[in-house]
Amino acid sequence: MLTITQHKHDLLIIGAGLAGLRVAIELAKDFDVAVITKVHPLRSHSVAAQGGINASLGEGDSWESHAFDTVKGSDYLADQDVTEILAKEAPRAVIENERWGTAFSRTDDGKIAQRPFGGAAFPRTCYAADRTGHNLLHTTFEQALKSGVTFYDEWFVTSLVRDEDHICGLTALQIATGEIHSFIGKSVVIATGGFGRVYSHSTNAIINTGDGCALALRVGAPLKDMEFIQFHPTTLYGSSILMSEGARGEGGYLVNSEGNRFMDRYAPEKMELAPRDIVARAIQTEINEGRGIDGKYVHLDLRHLGREKILERLPGIREISIHFAGVDPIDEPIPIKPGQHYSMGGVHTDKYGVTPISGLFSVGEAACMSVHGANRLGGNSLLETLVFGKVVGEKIREFIPCASEPSPNCVDDEAFKIREKLQEIMLKESGESPSEIREVMGSTMDSLVGVYRKEEDLKAALTMIRELKVRLKNVYGGHSDKRYNFSLIRILELENMLDLAEVITMGALMRRESRGAHWRLDYPVRDDENFLKHSLFTKVDDYVKTELIDVNLGMFEVKERTY
Amino acid sequence: MKLRIARSRDGGRITHYDLYKIELRKGMTILDALFQIQDKMDPSLSFRYSCRGAVCGSCSMLINKEPRLACRTQVSDVHGFEMKLKVFPTLTDTPPGWNPEEEILIEPLPNMPVEKDLVVDMTRFYRALETMKLWIDSEEGTEAHLQSPDDRKKIERYVNCILCAICYGSCPVNYEQVEYIGPAALAKAWRFAEDSRVKSPERYLDVANSLNGAPLCDLIMNCVKACPKGVAPGGAIRKIKNP
Repeated sequence: MLTITQHKHDLLIIGAGLAGLRVAIELAKDFDVAVITKVHPLRSHSVAAQGGINASLGEGDSWESHAFDTVKGSDYLADQDVTEILAKEAPRAVIENERWGTAFSRTDDGKIAQRPFGGAAFPRTCYAADRTGHNLLHTTFEQALKSGVTFYDEWFVTSLVRDEDHICGLTALQIATGEIHSFIGKSVVIATGGFGRVYSHSTNAIINTGDGCALALRVGAPLKDMEFIQFHPTTLYGSSILMSEGARGEGGYLVNSEGNRFMDRYAPEKMELAPRDIVARAIQTEINEGRGIDGKYVHLDLRHLGREKILERLPGIREISIHFAGVDPIDEPIPIKPGQHYSMGGVHTDKYGVTPISGLFSVGEAACMSVHGANRLGGNSLLETLVFGKVVGEKIREFIPCASEPSPNCVDDEAFKIREKLQEIMLKESGESPSEIREVMGSTMDSLVGVYRKEEDLKAALTMIRELKVRLKNVYGGHSDKRYNFSLIRILELENMLDLAEVITMGALMRRESRGAHWRLDYPVRDDENFLKHSLFTKVDDYVKTELIDVNLGMFEVKERTY
Repeated sequence: MKLRIARSRDGGRITHYDLYKIELRKGMTILDALFQIQDKMDPSLSFRYSCRGAVCGSCSMLINKEPRLACRTQVSDVHGFEMKLKVFPTLTDTPPGWNPEEEILIEPLPNMPVEKDLVVDMTRFYRALETMKLWIDSEEGTEAHLQSPDDRKKIERYVNCILCAICYGSCPVNYEQVEYIGPAALAKAWRFAEDSRVKSPERYLDVANSLNGAPLCDLIMNCVKACPKGVAPGGAIRKIKNP
């Protein structure tokens, strides 16, 4: 018999973006599935993805070509067996969502339209105008509703619970009441997305605080490749809102203060459609060397595309530019600069989403399988969620019948501890300001662990982050209420982000080479001999153990990467 | 700049208004201002948020008596009474002491029960998606459908809906009749009925024409005026009524 603060399901999925929902749909018929999410599913960050989703649907294209582009884009750090699944399953995943109702843009003969994207040999990015994530998320949510899974909307997961070697549930804060509940389950899936808000300048939603990754680290599951942070080349100057790669895919130019299309000096062949790491560094270099406009940004110029094409293919970009920068791209170039965009790293899993803790799985941006290696190609992240949501679901279908019965006591003991912890925060009468700690963390990561990195900066960042962690122990949230206490949620998110900021910086320090999105000014070349490896971070007692593990190669030979 | 914000600690009704003086920064949105208050002045202030880029639909609220997304509304650009909505009491009753010249008035989205401060209970709004079964019924098959660009265009404005509920909060019928399922769900039903790929469009029209659906709409068109995404649910409802 369960008490009012106990819940029991076969499967507990944390996060209701595309990845979490796709797992839920896969298993809804077979098991009692619960999705626990801190925002209503439609508010998940998948909704903000713009440019598209890759699949080798076109004539002359092939999954092998898609896999090769992905591996080369990853600077050869992607596990090639995982990339193979991604590329092979892509057409099926896109068609499945089309059949569920997603309104993809169309060619004149009625097929799913595809546009060119960075680092890709074919125009293989399927899109729904520049609102692809919005369309996929709403469609996938419709199917999840239809499937009858149980949703816990606006519940914030506070900890994972393990019993020796296996997971047995989690604790969560019901935002509406402020009460901590116990969730008992045979299996838990972390699908909480990325952790972009560790940086101040990020395209990510405010909710992208990497909660699942921090929970995994704390419960003893390793994180992987955390130093690989993608900086998107084109984020709106001021608000850092994403300006889709689709804007360049449709033919947009990048122009510096001297009026030059500077990409000819960085990627003469691919120009604006080089992969994101290369374009981001090019823009940052232009700004650093004094060719930025007002010294702060460069221009994304769409004017030559013409009114009609902008209205048809890039209506969202136009709307954002008008509302958030006061610029209509039909008449004026858009001010942009690089900003944090995507977390290549995450919870260490194999190609089925399996972590070293029995019953604990992870998928989507929260996970690191690793399919993107050191740099993700545009159009591959929406794809990862839908392809691997299904793959991980299938693996869990095999797992659950063999899982041991989870112990409710174990989860209740943990819930008791979490209640005490929250009470302690709430009852404090003075202490450190959480928003100040958050601001210092963000600016530290922006300036010292950004597009260009070097040892002294990284050491300074690590010292600062550790100092902030100490300060957070004495955080004072101020007077608030138990119900809908978003200030408390933001303190818990900050705790999660600081743990991740530390690991990101440790990884960036340890990796003395430049690969993909990780660029070390003091080690400006790729070092395959020592670093063609994944980095792994495991919490042991009070410190984080770091190690390097092998990359799964096999299909494509490791080569120099030029565009 | 000052913000006068509706407060409700225990939900149910607005109990009072608090006045906050914010430090105005260039490009600051109402959502930025609310965070400044929560961070620096009053951690007990509750409001929903997520993307801050006008795509997730979390931060709908009443700003100077007009329903808007807080993240897409610039503090320096708030005027009010620009939408020319047909009014109902929530849009006309102003709190004593409000000085529209110097203060921006922030209140919860109308037509839904207040949970706390600017957080409203959206259960009814979301429930329509389920009770009306607003999804595609799956059929066997492994090929993508063909759809002409023109056919896609017919549903485009409706698929752009972010379900922010601003239409629901702006509708005088929703104000008077809690059972009315509201403009967004009807527009979504029309989106499926109009989709050239759908095999049985009647099912969506039937449910849209049910007792608590399109027949309750008086074609007032506040939803069309208030929608931040140009979805124009009222146009869809007109077509549902006269197919």
